[in-house]
Amino acid sequence: MDKGKYLIRLACIFIVSVVLIYGSSLYGSGRMAKDESRTRADFINIDGMASFGELEKPPVAFLHDAHTTALAKKNKDCSACHLTEKDRVMPKFKRIQDADRVSVMNVYHKECIACHGEMKVAGEKSGPVECDACHRADVRYTSSRQPMGFDLSLHSRHAEAQEKKCEQCHHEYDEKAKKLFYAKGKEGTCRYCHQDQTIDNRISMRLASHIACINCHSKTLAQKLDSGPVTCAGCHDPAAQGKIKKVSPIPRMERKQPDTALIRTVSEKDKADAGEKAQQNRMDRVPFDHQAHEKYNDTCRACHHAGLQPCSECHSLTGKKEGKNVSLEKAMHQVGTDESCLGCHEAKQKAPECAGCHAPMGAAVWKEDESCRKCHATRMPDAQAPLRPEHENALAAETLKNRKPLTGTYPEKDIPEKVVIGHLSKEYEPVDFPHRKIVNAIAAKIKDNKLAAYFHHEEGTLCQGCHHNSPVSKKPPQCGSCHGRVFDKTNPLKPGITGAYHQQCMGCHQEMGIQKPVGCTECHKEKKINKM
Amino acid sequence: MSISRRKFLGWIGAAGVGSTLGKSAFAGGGKHFEGHPDSFGVLHDTTLCVGCRSCEAACAKENALPVPDKPFTDLSVLQEKRRTSPTAYTVVNKFDIPGRKTPVFVKKQCNHCLEPACASVCFVRAFEKTAQGPVIYDESVCVGCRYCMVACPFEIPTYEYDKALEPRVMKCTMCHPRVMRGEVPACVEACPKEALIFGKREDLINIARDRIRKYPERYVDHIYGENEMGGTSWLYLSAVPFHEIGMREDLGVTPAPELTSGALSAVPVVVGLWPVFLMGLFAISKRKEAVSREEMEARVQSVSALAEAKLAAAMETAQKEKTAAVAKEVQKALESAAQSRTKEEI
Amino acid sequence: MSDNAAMGAKTWLTPFNVVTGAIIIIGLVLSVLRFTMGLGAVTNLTDDNAWGLWIGFDLLVGVALAAGGYVTSAAVYLLGMKKFHSAVRPAVLTGFLGYALVVFALSYDVGRPWRLPYPFIMQQGTTSLLFEVAGCVALYLTVLFLEFVPAAMEWLGLKKLRKLIVRLTLALTVLGVVLSTLHQSSLGAIFLIAPSKLHPLWYSSYLPVFFFISSIAAGLSMVIFESSLSHRYFADKMDEAHLRENEGVTLGFGKAASMVLAGYFIIKVMGVAGGDHWGLLGTPYGLWFLVELLGFVALPSLLYAVGVRNKDLTLIRWTAGWTVLGIVVNRLNISLVAFNWQLPSSQRYFPHWMEIATSVFIVTVGIVVFRFIVTRMPIFYEHPEYKDIH
Repeated sequence: MDKGKYLIRLACIFIVSVVLIYGSSLYGSGRMAKDESRTRADFINIDGMASFGELEKPPVAFLHDAHTTALAKKNKDCSACHLTEKDRVMPKFKRIQDADRVSVMNVYHKECIACHGEMKVAGEKSGPVECDACHRADVRYTSSRQPMGFDLSLHSRHAEAQEKKCEQCHHEYDEKAKKLFYAKGKEGTCRYCHQDQTIDNRISMRLASHIACINCHSKTLAQKLDSGPVTCAGCHDPAAQGKIKKVSPIPRMERKQPDTALIRTVSEKDKADAGEKAQQNRMDRVPFDHQAHEKYNDTCRACHHAGLQPCSECHSLTGKKEGKNVSLEKAMHQVGTDESCLGCHEAKQKAPECAGCHAPMGAAVWKEDESCRKCHATRMPDAQAPLRPEHENALAAETLKNRKPLTGTYPEKDIPEKVVIGHLSKEYEPVDFPHRKIVNAIAAKIKDNKLAAYFHHEEGTLCQGCHHNSPVSKKPPQCGSCHGRVFDKTNPLKPGITGAYHQQCMGCHQEMGIQKPVGCTECHKEKKINKM
Repeated sequence: MSISRRKFLGWIGAAGVGSTLGKSAFAGGGKHFEGHPDSFGVLHDTTLCVGCRSCEAACAKENALPVPDKPFTDLSVLQEKRRTSPTAYTVVNKFDIPGRKTPVFVKKQCNHCLEPACASVCFVRAFEKTAQGPVIYDESVCVGCRYCMVACPFEIPTYEYDKALEPRVMKCTMCHPRVMRGEVPACVEACPKEALIFGKREDLINIARDRIRKYPERYVDHIYGENEMGGTSWLYLSAVPFHEIGMREDLGVTPAPELTSGALSAVPVVVGLWPVFLMGLFAISKRKEAVSREEMEARVQSVSALAEAKLAAAMETAQKEKTAAVAKEVQKALESAAQSRTKEEI
Repeated sequence: MSDNAAMGAKTWLTPFNVVTGAIIIIGLVLSVLRFTMGLGAVTNLTDDNAWGLWIGFDLLVGVALAAGGYVTSAAVYLLGMKKFHSAVRPAVLTGFLGYALVVFALSYDVGRPWRLPYPFIMQQGTTSLLFEVAGCVALYLTVLFLEFVPAAMEWLGLKKLRKLIVRLTLALTVLGVVLSTLHQSSLGAIFLIAPSKLHPLWYSSYLPVFFFISSIAAGLSMVIFESSLSHRYFADKMDEAHLRENEGVTLGFGKAASMVLAGYFIIKVMGVAGGDHWGLLGTPYGLWFLVELLGFVALPSLLYAVGVRNKDLTLIRWTAGWTVLGIVVNRLNISLVAFNWQLPSSQRYFPHWMEIATSVFIVTVGIVVFRFIVTRMPIFYEHPEYKDIH
């Protein structure tokens, strides 16, 4: 009998303890979930050992600005945690580079815990010293760090401040001498060499930018001059980024870039490889207004994404390794990317003033061969010898000058003022459509848009936004000419007339972000007869 | 009741033969129903819907449903998520998606699955998947068990709980009478934006693919209903992931009947084999009883034989002793008689 | 004479009669409401929650707990365990009343109860497991009725008819086990259609097996439970054999229940492993699943074993009650708690007090009828004229 009772008691204790364990873990996790996630720009996830293999413990959440503020109160500066090399403070914690897993780990453990321990002994509020207090599985902070970009506005401010001494920042690397040197006339963006990860002794962009920028800023600040930020949040906090002064208009970058250029449709090397006897029917070259395009992006990298050399050097006709196997044609015409010409132009069509007409047109379709000529406009003279650069640019400038942009549409007297759309009215009155007002509004919005002005090649092109799928004409056909009563299943992308009107009108309003009209009766009043 | 070997073997044979009769039950393996050929469906392009509720109004009118408290022109009802109800075969819901300037509207109604769960589970076959596509309900046989409501993965059928005598299951019929007459469902006809189009299901899938191909940035590359729950006749296109607009993406592609076909196929096996097993158990237990009875009898017999032998031996010994005792007494008597005679002579 | 009459009137007002009478009166009122105003007036059923307490408790729990009938008659007539013979009639009666009440409760739950015969006479939905349940329950109710009716015949003195029906015992027992296997498992299988609505810890393609095995344990426990209550309240109706065999029945059934529950525990764990749902055990639903599995399956298995080993009848009886509760918990979990678990709490279902009251009413009717039968018919004793063939 006793043994039985003992077993029962054991069983009950086991069950109760299981319940308690699970319950407490749930209780704990539930509580944690209620804490708001704290978003900070200085949040650093310390996982320096990750490059050496899988981490045994969770990465450590580290708040950098909190530490700089705390140490500043004790009159300690960057050197409390950062080593200096060649007169520059290095961003890694108490080391220049990561040697191996164990040494990185030891650096952190030794230095962090020692400092925390000292402060604790001194009776001050300090960070943790236990393993799990730093290596927490639950992440209580999220990073609000926005990448910091160096756009043309900032560049011009820095160039001014440095009195146009480009060598202060720009350098090249001599592979043989293993040294940095300044190459005048070859300045490019840091990112052409410094990538996301450190490769051998080519440090990552993160390291490079922190070393270069913060050191210069702190030195300038030490001279009591106005300078850029030195804290994490100063550059990376989205609010702080919004407060950065923007120069307007941005003075042109002085890099001896051409005003106009004649874009090649085949590289010189490819031409040479093909030989003299080979057919040379290449696409006409593209006259390019480089000066105007400089203003359309806030960095040069938008187009010169990997270097400042001509595109055809990496992007051959059939594609090669340097160009990641992207052919020249694709590099220029691929939609969906920002680096290609057509990709950028297509992205511009998404602006509200354009989207009303362009969104329903769908994915870029090259309808007529005429559209190639819009860009490929310069026929080279038959002579095989290449022209000198300055002659090329002059030829480009000439072609560009002769272009005739069109900023408007038909004259007003040819645009009907009002159109009554009435052939479907079963429940509603006919629509009094303010035709001219709308056309004028659309035209006014794109009046100064050079892209539109160039590509809308006829007066009637603007009308095609609504009067689509028909030849350009001053008197385009009625919608009902093609759209039947109900949707046509042999032509599935063509709605019936009701759908056509509603999709066209409401779709355009939605794309352009036009709030009114709202509801059914603002466009067409209800027919009184239906009120029962 | 004992059972002879012959009978036992006979029953096993009968059960074995019996289980081979009838069609074999493939537990839903290998066959995939793609819908009745040329059956119709509806494609709902949610990027076109503006939440005007004209479809709800047309549906209510077509099916003679009672007029609701708030008229169909009242768009404030879109503030809350609604589900179908006995007086609303279809509802439109509004979804505010973070990052999008305009909300997404979705029309919700019976999806007219190719292999409907409701039809599979109804034990009086009150639901039928018609050859034209709509799944229709026959209220003249419905018992009101509401298993269809439990089974529907899209939570569509509703029940008239407030009726005592004639409660019905209520759900969209895809306007089957209109479809039979060659017309389109009332909601499709009413939609001003043509967010609903009606046609053959295969055609609608091709149309949907065309739209996705032409406007890849506008649509999520998925036609909801193409394969969900084995495929539905009502197809959806969306600009945002479907689970953000209240449509479950975890339903899988297994048609509902396949979920229970395994269990159903076990029924004839149980009916065929259980009697065999049980009678086998019975036979075994009876045999055990018989054997233990025999053993007991044998033991009883041997014990009683032993007892009898013992008794016979004891009887013999007793008899011998008796004879000896008698002889002794006779001897004694003779001696005493001889003695008394001798005394007399003197 | 008047004294006797007065005494007669007083003996009707026992506490039991008063309470059950009140419940029955309330139940009748609710029945009127239900059938004149529809389901919506007396239940909290919604379009999202179409099955409520009446299905979860009255149908699912009722059928599971009525399983004692087939378990006991299989043990006695198929496996030849004669020492349990006295338990057969009470178990069959419990089973018969249980199933009768299930049908009774079903007539409250379905929308048009007068159409309940339709699946048999109008259209057969043979793809539906509910059709299978309906058919098997209808047939099994007949089987149970035939198994019970000899007792009534003895009460009524219909010797010849009784003899005829008793000859069917073996066939009825086999049929009873077959039908019970089918409908007990099918009640689990009806939930296979809704994997998107049942919590993964409870949903498994083995649901039919789980239901069937747990019904065996339910039946065994229910027999012990019912016999312990009967021995408390109806001991004066019991004959010597009944009283003598009770300990053997309790120990024997307790041993069987311990093993069945252990097997059930193992296959439930396999179910979790098969779906790789270990991670879900740490969630609130997982905790509740563990309470059900450890507290109401593993624990009673252990307690039964301890009780049988130590011949502790009290422990076995309490464990039987606990197991019955566990079956209630399991069936309610599958039909109400873990069902529609994905819905927000505002859309979840809790029974209306009228639903609870109706269920109580139905169970009370069962108890009253049980009492009527056992106090008049030879359930707990053998009729002296019929102490014959076995």
